[in-house]
Amino acid sequence: MSRKVSSYVKIEGRMRWEAIWVLSKRELLAFVRNKTRIISSIAQALLFLFVFSGGFFSIDISIDGVDVSPMAFVASGIIAMAILFSGVFGGLGIIRDRMFGFMRELLVAPISRRTLMTGKTLGVALQSLLQCLIMAVISVAMGFFGYDPSLIWRIILLMPIALLFSLGVVGIGLTISTRLTDFQSFGLIQTFLIMPMFWLSGALFAFNSVPEIMQIIMMFNPISYGVDIFRYVILGVSFFPLWVNLLVLSAFAAILILIGANSFSNMQIS
Amino acid sequence: MRDYQYNYRNKRENKTKMTENIVEVKNLTKIYDEGDVLAVDDISLTLKKGEIFALLGPNGAGKTTTISMLATLLKPTKGTATVNSYNIDEDPDKVRKSIGVVFQEPSLDGDMKAEENLELHAILYGMSKSERREKIKEVLKLVNLDDKAEMYTKNYSGGMKRRLEIARGLIHNPQMLFLDEPTLGLDPQTRRKIWEKIKQLNEELKMTILITTHYMEEADVLADRICIMDHGKIIALDTSENLKHQLSGDIIEIELENVHNLSMIPQLISQLKEIKGIKDVKIGAKGDQGVADMTMNLPAGMKNMNPQMMQMIQQQMKEIMTDAKKFVRATKKFPMASNFFSRAPLEAKERVANLFKGNKDLLEELPKNMKETILKIQSGEYEEKQKNENPLLTISCENGAKQITEIIQKISNSDNLNIKSVQMHNPTLEDVFLFYTGREIREESSNNTEDVKKLIQMRQLRQNK
Ligand SMILES: Nc1ncnc2c1ncn2[C@@H]1O[C@H](COP(=O)(O)OP(=O)(O)OP(=O)(O)O)[C@@H](O)[C@H]1O
Ligand SMILES: [Mg+2]
Repeated sequence: MSRKVSSYVKIEGRMRWEAIWVLSKRELLAFVRNKTRIISSIAQALLFLFVFSGGFFSIDISIDGVDVSPMAFVASGIIAMAILFSGVFGGLGIIRDRMFGFMRELLVAPISRRTLMTGKTLGVALQSLLQCLIMAVISVAMGFFGYDPSLIWRIILLMPIALLFSLGVVGIGLTISTRLTDFQSFGLIQTFLIMPMFWLSGALFAFNSVPEIMQIIMMFNPISYGVDIFRYVILGVSFFPLWVNLLVLSAFAAILILIGANSFSNMQIS
Repeated sequence: MRDYQYNYRNKRENKTKMTENIVEVKNLTKIYDEGDVLAVDDISLTLKKGEIFALLGPNGAGKTTTISMLATLLKPTKGTATVNSYNIDEDPDKVRKSIGVVFQEPSLDGDMKAEENLELHAILYGMSKSERREKIKEVLKLVNLDDKAEMYTKNYSGGMKRRLEIARGLIHNPQMLFLDEPTLGLDPQTRRKIWEKIKQLNEELKMTILITTHYMEEADVLADRICIMDHGKIIALDTSENLKHQLSGDIIEIELENVHNLSMIPQLISQLKEIKGIKDVKIGAKGDQGVADMTMNLPAGMKNMNPQMMQMIQQQMKEIMTDAKKFVRATKKFPMASNFFSRAPLEAKERVANLFKGNKDLLEELPKNMKETILKIQSGEYEEKQKNENPLLTISCENGAKQITEIIQKISNSDNLNIKSVQMHNPTLEDVFLFYTGREIREESSNNTEDVKKLIQMRQLRQNK
């Protein structure tokens, strides 16, 4: 594989902002136009919300000595999950582009691979942000977090945090989808990587309510820190200190964007 | 702002002043590591400014690979080229900006509207807003899709998609357009319409166009010059007229029937070649089946192989056929072995089956269909699928009417050969192809033995390096 990769000609050179913007816009447009995807993701989130916050686990949750309503707890976790799912699935667009041949048009254009990669990453990250915002607005409107005027600026503050978190996730998406040539193997990735990351992120249950061994596993899951920082911003409480969350998420973003960029640069047209 | 009319006149003046080369290809070679394929084999050619140039060849000839290298998608293994006076290795960025490419495979985004597809392209090629707005309108009009600009391209028909792709390739005012099989899979009317557009682009915009095709007619109708490619090599390059002229005289096709002993045919061919006025004789079969009678039945593509190489193969074949272990090893090295095997005559298959008698372990290591065939032969269940195709002699001669009687006489003199039909016609491009390559161009003509030939050539090329 690596030998064949080397036979592609890559344009070196600077980033072209207009190109980056048009590529991101394309991702955003695809997202906005795909109504079923938006609706089904919202429906899925609401389902999780009702099942996990009311029905099965009506335990008291307390973070750092502060009591949190289960509804608010799960809702904030689900908003964080919007980033995970749309980031990874956004990366799927690359598989589609390669399968349906549009990648050829992109690869023969006089733009550097860095420009291409940045455009894609930014586009998918903006998609995730949009999805996250939709979830947050719905949750606020439905009163999951109570009615507190400060929620408005909390949600606004959430956006840059969400962007940081989504960069790492999009890195995962890009890394995976530049290496797959069809959707079939994506099922496996979803079952063995994405779902475990989701379940072990603490989005649906409290970190301090599970056995220690599970806590240790969760500490190795970067998604846990994204979920935690979301709670910090929305609810004002978190399990980990803010600086730990920020540090881990920054490192996660930096490493995965690097790996993603490398995979992207070596990508072949199937 | 570029003025289209102005541009147009300007280019025309340029053209009358100089006949410069817009593309220069030198010793371009491509070996795909994956599968060890020699896809393009040391080709050199030049394109003149303003011409339509056709690369004509069957599937797998290396047309797409050539275009990919010229469009700076693929790195050549050896050799180089300049396009619009930019070197493809040194200035890929500039090459890309100066060319338009329409790929063989679809490359539109179906989830975007036609206009958006064009807009995205224009931005990627760095065009300003006013420039692209005007140009998009212009190219949409050119391919008669201006009323369908708002449609999602996934709802386009095949022909509309193709036209839009051509339009897209034109947005950034390229001086050179590459069209890879632009009419593949389209119905005759749509094909004709696209031909008209191509002619129009060439005549009105003075655009140089390189088109690949495996339709003879397409090359014949469109191209100023035709380059016939096969197995990655250029086998002829000239105007359609000149190519046909080289086969001046007549073409006589004689179909034989009930041929039981194919080994008499080579003898017959050499007898026919002795007749005065006969220029060349080729043998093929109706249905592209080879008739060379060898230890392993070699199909049409290999008939023109040089005798030394042939001998080399046969020598190795003999060795392999005496030792089950060697045979297994050979099948592993040689991806096409099982196809080769299925083409082999029954006698050869039986010999292989004998080789593996009492050698169950080794048998397991063979490819599945080979193993099954051998097991069937060993248990006596095997039935050879008989493909009775009639050999077809294609004879190029100076004056058909004069020479035909002698030809028929010669054939009737040899025992066991009956003539089924005789046809005579003027040389077509198809005949040109046949006489250059030894086989007829067909849509599905790519067969495994040709790959074998390529493999061998490639090994030699590597050893020489
Ligand atoms: N990516 C690849 N990896 C390995 N081998 C390849 C690759 N692409 C093409 N080939 C091989 O190279 C040879 C030439 O292929 P190419 O696509 O250039 O032919 P072509 O003339 O365009 O044929 P077609 O009419 O089918 O489009 C073929 O034998 C093909 O199998
Ligand atoms: Mg091709």
